This record gives sequence, C-alpha cells and structure tokens, in this order.
Amino acid sequence: MLRKGTAKKVTIYVNEDTRAHLGPLYEAILTFLLSKGVAGATATRAMAGFGGHQAMHSSKIEARAEHLPVRIEFIEAAPKVDELLPTLYDMVTDGLIEVQDTTVVKAAAAERQPEATPHREEIRGKARLMRIYMGEADRWKGESLYEAIVKRLRMLDVAGATVYRGILGYGAKGHTHKPGLWVSRDLPVMVSVVDTPEKLSAALPEIEAMIGDGLIVFSDVEAIRLVRALPEAADAGT
Amino acid sequence: MPEPEPARMLRLHFVESDRHGGKPLYEAVVERCRELGIAGATVFRGLEGYGESAELHRHQIGRHEQPIVVTIVDTAQNIRILIPVLENMMQTGLMAVSDVERIRLERSREL
Repeated sequence: MLRKGTAKKVTIYVNEDTRAHLGPLYEAILTFLLSKGVAGATATRAMAGFGGHQAMHSSKIEARAEHLPVRIEFIEAAPKVDELLPTLYDMVTDGLIEVQDTTVVKAAAAERQPEATPHREEIRGKARLMRIYMGEADRWKGESLYEAIVKRLRMLDVAGATVYRGILGYGAKGHTHKPGLWVSRDLPVMVSVVDTPEKLSAALPEIEAMIGDGLIVFSDVEAIRLVRALPEAADAGT
Repeated sequence: MPEPEPARMLRLHFVESDRHGGKPLYEAVVERCRELGIAGATVFRGLEGYGESAELHRHQIGRHEQPIVVTIVDTAQNIRILIPVLENMMQTGLMAVSDVERIRLERSREL
C-alpha cells in the first residue's frame, strides 16, 4: 500500500550466482520482500559491471556470464524500509545496499478492486474557494489550458474542480470573448476549486505557472461537507 | 510569483431575457464595465434557477428565461463606483459583493 508522497528507494546490488541456502540470493531477497508485504520489487540483470572484488563481470566473457550483477529495487515508506533493512543487511553477504529519498507520484493498482470501504477524508469548516479565469482557446503544451489545469489539480490531490464556460466577457487579454457561429471560439472559462487553504497554497505555484493571461481569485468559504475518497488507500485492507 | 492582493468580487444575478437600452442586459453590463475601465467581467448562463419573482427559470424553446450570473473582480474603490451604475440598469435581480484576494496574470502584455 504505497502512498503518494515522500518514500525511500532501496537498491541492492548482488551477483547472480551468490547463493543463499538452496537458491540464488536475489530470489531469497525477493521472497523476503514479498513476505513482508512490500508494494513491489524488481530484479534486473545487468549487462556488465564490477564491484567489491574489482573484477569485470560481462556477458561477453563466457566463463563469467554466471557472475553478472543483479540489481534489486523497491520503493517503500520510510518506516517500512527501516523495519526491513536489518534483515537485508544480514542477507546480503556479498554486495551493496543503497537507500535514497524519493517521491512517489502515482501508485495505482488498476487490476485490484478495492476490498474494504474506501477511506474517506472529510473537510468541514474553514476552506478556500479558488476561481481561475482564462480563455477557452488558451493552450498549455498542446492541450487546452482548462483541461491541463484540471488534470494537474487531480494529480495534486485537490478535492475537486469544476469548469464553467461563460457566454460573454473580457479580462486580462483585453479582447471581448463573444460566441461566434463559425469562427473559432474563445469564450471565457472559469475553473472553481474548493479545498483546504494548505492544499490550495501548495497547488497555486504550479497552476500560476501554467497561465499566460488570466486571473486567480481566492475567497474564504465555509465547507459544510466535502468528502473525498482516497483511492490509493482503497487497497489498504489487502 | 505575483502576490495575491485584496480585491472585491461583485456578482449580479438576473435572467437572460432582461434588457437594457435595446440589448440584453448582460451585454449592456459588460459594455458599461469596459467604458468605466473595470478590470474584467464574465457572464455565465445557468441551467436552472429561481429568484425574486419566485418562478422557475429554465430553458424553454422560444423563451430565454435562464439565470445569468455576471462576475466582476476589481479593487474596492472601482467596485464602489460601479455598484450605483449597475443598480440603475437592473430592474430586478440580486447584487452580492464579497472580499477576495486576486492574482492578475498578464504575461502577454509584459512582453
């Protein structure tokens, strides 16, 4: 159950032919990680490399093809990694263990149906309303700006966004947005977003950087009930 | 990044069929705002609603009774000047003002 946000990435370098009990060490490590409920782990066979023994292992050198480096990678939350490291330290008799800070952008399991009731987060009381004004024809890296903004807000875990199309207006660009029958349309578009002040302040710099001409308006609102399901926590019961 | 500055938001609620000076009221309002040098105005059409006259405003063929909302964001000073002007143009409807913070992005003009 990997969550979005900061996490640790562990990389273990071993030799393909290093053995642990009856099988290869990398298999033993993968079995251990699976038994501990690690979200996922990958073992990759290298093309060539050298390590602590200062001997080149390469698939070109036939006699040493069995001795190729294997890299095992997995990403987990920091407390989980702390829990696993002592055992891994014990297991890796010959090799290298490295840990680095990382950020999980998306952890999705499409094929798995949520088994438990999805965890929900409720927002009540003090909240902020952000309205973003732009033109319908505004674009951002090849797609329409309002679509790009909604996608970005979704990625940033903002509770919700609604796009409204106006029928007339003018603003930062100075020209009047009017409906035309055959001409390309550039009607005003407004995206309204409600979430906690912290969520919106975090999203603001990213949204602001996407807009060329426009207006962002904030107001304080009272959230009566704003419930959102957290999809990444849906399989927490597995 | 530009800092948010305090501003005021004015919202006008009326119906699409309201007219002023021979044209739809929402067009007249937007034009008047432009003449007065107001930063911007946006007109939205609602799907359904009801208001002062207590009759339901919804789209019917041949009738334009859908609700209209005009939102205007500018400095408190400019909104104060604008309110009496628009009040004279509207017969029925609602005006609401609220405090907001705004960030104006005018990158194409800066270039």
